[in-house]
Order: sequence, then structure tokens, then C-alpha cells
Amino acid sequence: MPLHDTSYQHWEGVHLGLWRRRWVIARAGLRACLQGKWMRHLIVLCWVSALGMTTVLFLVGQLLVANSIVVKWMGNFNPALQAFAGMLTTWLEQHPEISVRTTQDVLFYYFCIGLMRAGIFALGMAIPLLITRDLASNAIIIYSSKAVSRGDYLLGKFITAFVLIFLTWLGPVCAAWFVGNLLAPDWRFFWHSRVAVAHVLVFGAASMTVLSLLALGVSAISSKEKSTAAVWFMWWIFGGVLAPIAVQTQPWLRHLSFNFDLDQLALAVFRPAHDLTIAQTNIPILGDMLRGVRPQTLASLATPELQGAVAALLVMLALAAFLIRNRVRPE
Amino acid sequence: MPTMQPLMLPPLVIETQNLTKAFGQQKALDGVNLQVVPGAIGLLGPNGAGKSTLIKCLLQLQPITSGSARLLGREVGSEGREIRKRVGYTPEQDCHIPGMVGCEYVTYCAQLCGLPFQAARQRAHEMLDFVGMGQERYRKIESYSTGMRQRLKLAQAMVHDPEIIFLDEPTNGLDPKGQAQILDLVNSLWKRYGITVVLSSHLLHDVDRICEQIIIIARGRVLVHDTLENLKARRRGAAEVVLSGRHQEFESACLRRNWACEPLPNGHIKVEHHSDSLNSLLGLLDEIKLPPLEIIPSPNALEETFVQALEISHATA
Repeated sequence: MPLHDTSYQHWEGVHLGLWRRRWVIARAGLRACLQGKWMRHLIVLCWVSALGMTTVLFLVGQLLVANSIVVKWMGNFNPALQAFAGMLTTWLEQHPEISVRTTQDVLFYYFCIGLMRAGIFALGMAIPLLITRDLASNAIIIYSSKAVSRGDYLLGKFITAFVLIFLTWLGPVCAAWFVGNLLAPDWRFFWHSRVAVAHVLVFGAASMTVLSLLALGVSAISSKEKSTAAVWFMWWIFGGVLAPIAVQTQPWLRHLSFNFDLDQLALAVFRPAHDLTIAQTNIPILGDMLRGVRPQTLASLATPELQGAVAALLVMLALAAFLIRNRVRPE
Repeated sequence: MPTMQPLMLPPLVIETQNLTKAFGQQKALDGVNLQVVPGAIGLLGPNGAGKSTLIKCLLQLQPITSGSARLLGREVGSEGREIRKRVGYTPEQDCHIPGMVGCEYVTYCAQLCGLPFQAARQRAHEMLDFVGMGQERYRKIESYSTGMRQRLKLAQAMVHDPEIIFLDEPTNGLDPKGQAQILDLVNSLWKRYGITVVLSSHLLHDVDRICEQIIIIARGRVLVHDTLENLKARRRGAAEVVLSGRHQEFESACLRRNWACEPLPNGHIKVEHHSDSLNSLLGLLDEIKLPPLEIIPSPNALEETFVQALEISHATA
């Protein structure tokens, strides 16, 4: 028996705004996702990889400065290396847009593409918790009877998915860029790497939006948690297997893979072929090393199938919107 | 010359004009016209009559096919969020947000209605106390019994202090004790706290016990909309008499006055005394010196009205 007054009390207060209510939905979704042990481990892994990237950037930065700690340390072992670093420093002074911009652009292209896989995997784990569970438990009725609309609900869920990929992908990438350049021997590294980070942000924002919407669409397919997760992973894996096979048969089939389409988008944004060409002709030593890259590889990097990728992604988004529209209803 | 005092009518809480909801060719609501004042309102009808559809249309859970509706003075369709901020709803089916414990869920529902977290959490505990939930509020909802889930649904519907609350079959799946407790709570909402209650049910007893206004709906049409008092007044002329003994003597006295009487399985005797008041019946009892234990006037008025309305509906269909 409660010791305090259990009679009904009226409430008089100021209601929160609409965006706060949307954030409440997003936060609840995030909390549900982060309750999973494997999800937390994955996020930690992504941030550890960011630490690795930061270390790489730090070392690259140190190599480009003659009197840096690393160069001095290397000089203790081999004075020729210190002399080589001195040459790089001169070269940095003359071509900063190549030495910093190009290097970081290429590094961040591969880092971005790598961590995107982690984001896709995280979404796969989160998909049952986005809409699927709510469909199974009729929670949509509860949401719809509160002071939020269907659009607010979906926006909240979208923010959940977006923040989740941010934690596993764009967050670590941006953190690596910031800390890596913070530890660089020269403040100008921030300025010279501006293009790389702009590429990261443009590609990241576009891809995260696409992936979040696709995840919502897949999450709305069924009210069975295992089914929706299976659809996501099967689509991802099937696309990955199909893309190299379809090159030899029906190249357009590759666009059925969202991963392939996003890779094409990354190629169009980062233009790594352009960076490699610059590196081949300008960077001492690396030029010879990069001449070993096969021409087909360079050609595929140079000519992304952007139009097909964008068209395929738009079709996928339209399908996702159709599914969400038809499935996310109070009835 | 005496001045005319303006007639102060209470504001309408529900107002519909030709409200129609169709699923393909099937009309779940067919030109519903209602003007409902605040109070405890019983929405009666057989299964599939359109009760739940009416509530869902008013809450914008389902789009209206044609016609218009206003809830708490606001237009349904264009002001959905603002309306739902002031409305509570307990759905008929089992629904909850998975993975949450009871108090977390009610707090979350309050936040969805715009309450700040601290206020939401405090209100959630108050409402869980109000519906009689104890330490089980800290358990996952998935582990709740049907009774607990019904209480939780009621708590989430009241947590944001609504002006009107829609209860769709709130006693479904409850044992008699649980039913009585929930009905007592619902009863207090209007009578003690001034919250308008719309109780949708096919259980006449529940509605009879709580509601002042009755809306009978069948085949998507409103058949009856009146106060319970008026409905009972229409059915005067019958009563149930509870006696301690001498049943035969009472029945004989009734038959001498040409009053039909019928012993009921519960031991009561139903008498049709054909009078607006109970005076003639009391006179008869006095005449034979038989003090009654209880007299229940118009005992089945609601049931008879309900059945009659349905018969008319079937006949005209």
C-alpha cells in the first residue's frame, strides 16, 4: 500500500517542443540499440580503428618534417633516413596541396570505405529495433495516439539510424582527421587537408542518409525481427557476391547492390584515381611504386558509374518509402 | 422588462457531421452525426458495429473518408498533434513499446506528449500508483499478465493529464475483481477529477455502471444518443423486487392487478406495473404487508433499449 497520496493529480506545465519529442523517440531507439553487447563492441572497434588512423596520420605528418621527433628517432638508426625526411620537408614546402591533400584524400577514401562496412553491419544489427519491433508489438498505435505524427515517428527512427552510423563511421573518421592533424607538426595541415575532410563529409552525409532510409525500409518489411535482419544482411552479401560476377555478364546487375552504388559514389566524390595520378608523377619514390598498379584498376577508379549508381539508389529509396508508407500505420 | 439570461451550454467535446469511413465498399461508419457534451459516455454496440473505428477516426489513427469531426473544439485532420496532446487512449488490442519496464514506458509516453523528463517520470509513478501497480512497474512489460497490461494501458493514457480519455474495451480479459477495480478507477475519472470518459464496450453492465450518456452504434450508424436517465425513463413500468419470502403471495397479488410477473434465476421477481412511478407497486406491497428488501426500478432499461435499437437497425437494413 503506497504511503503517499495516490489520488489523481492534474498537471500544469509547459509542453516540450516538437523537436524535443522527436529526439525522445530517437534517444529511446538509440538506447535500445546500445543495450546490445555486440553493438557496443562494434562501436568500440570503430573508434579503435580511428585511433589507428590517427597514428598513421601522425606518422605521415612527422615524416614530412625534418626536425620532428620521429625523424630524429629514425636518424639515430640511419642518418640517410633523416636526410630523406629533410628532402620531403622541402617538397612539402613546395607542394603542400600534393603532400598533405593528396595523401590524406587517399587515406581517408580507404578509411571511409572500410568503416562504411562497419556502419552497414551496425545497421543490420539495429534493423530489428528500428520499426520491426514496433510493428510486432503494435507500438505504432501508441505512438500515433500521442502528440506525434507518423512523420515525427519516422524522423525519430531516422535520427536513430543516422546517429548509429555516425558512431560507427563518420564519427571515428572525423575524429581521426581532427586528432591526426592536431598532432601534426604544422597547423597548416588542417588547411591543406580541408579537401579530404570535405570529401568525407559530403560522401558521409549522403551515404548515411541513404543507408538510414534503406534501413528503415527494410525494417518495415516484416514484424519478425530475424526476417528483417536477414533481408539486410542477405542483400548486402548477395550484392557483394553479385557485383564482380555481373561485370562479365550483365553489368547493370551490379547496381542491385547498394554497397556497389555507394562505392561508385565514393569514387566520384574522392576521385582517388586523380590523386593517384598526381602521386605517381609528383611524389618521390612513390611514383615508381604506384606504376605497379594495374591499368584496369586505375581505369575502374577513374570512371565511376555515377549515373547508374544514383539512379539505382533513388529507385531503392523509392521502394523503401513505399514500404514505409504502407507498413507503418496504426492498423 | 426582465433580461434574458444566456443559456450556458457546456462546450461540445465531440462533434461530427456526416462522418463516414469506408474500407473499400464496406462502410464502417455511415454518416455519423454526434454532438457530445462532457461526461462519462458509453459507446455501445455489438462487435463490428464501428465503435473502435469511430474512436480511431476521432484520434486520426484512421483517415476519414468524408464528413468532418471536431474533438475538444479542434478540427480532426488538421490539428492532430494538438488534439492528441489533450486526449488519452487505451487501445483494445495489446500494444506496448518493447524492451521497456513499466515505469519507463509510461514515462516515455508522457514525454511523447511533451512533458519534460522530470515531470514525466513523476507523473508516471503517480499514475502507476493510481492504477494500483506496485513493484511490478520495474519489470519488463513482456512479463506482465493481462490485468497488469490493462492497468498499464490506462496509466499511459492518463499520464499527460488529458481532458478526454477513450477506453476501448478496457475490461477485456480481466477477472471479475480486476474488472471491478478498473471500472471503479474509470468511474472516478469523471466523477472526481472531471476528465471526460468515452467507454467503448459491448458489455452493457460496465456501461450501465459508469456512464451518464449512451451512444448506441450498429452497422456504422448512431441508433441512440441520449442520457442514461432518459433511456431509463422511457422504460419505466417495470421493476425488480427482492423479497425475503412469501413469493407466491406476492405473485398472486400482482396477477390480481393484471401485472405480469416473472421469477428470475437470481431470486428476484420482475414485475411490469405499467406506471411511471413506483407508488402503485409500493401500495401493493403495503396492502399485503410485505416489506421488500430492495426494489430496482427499470432494471434492464439499457439492455432493452440496446436490443430494440438493434432490432430496428436489422429491420431497416
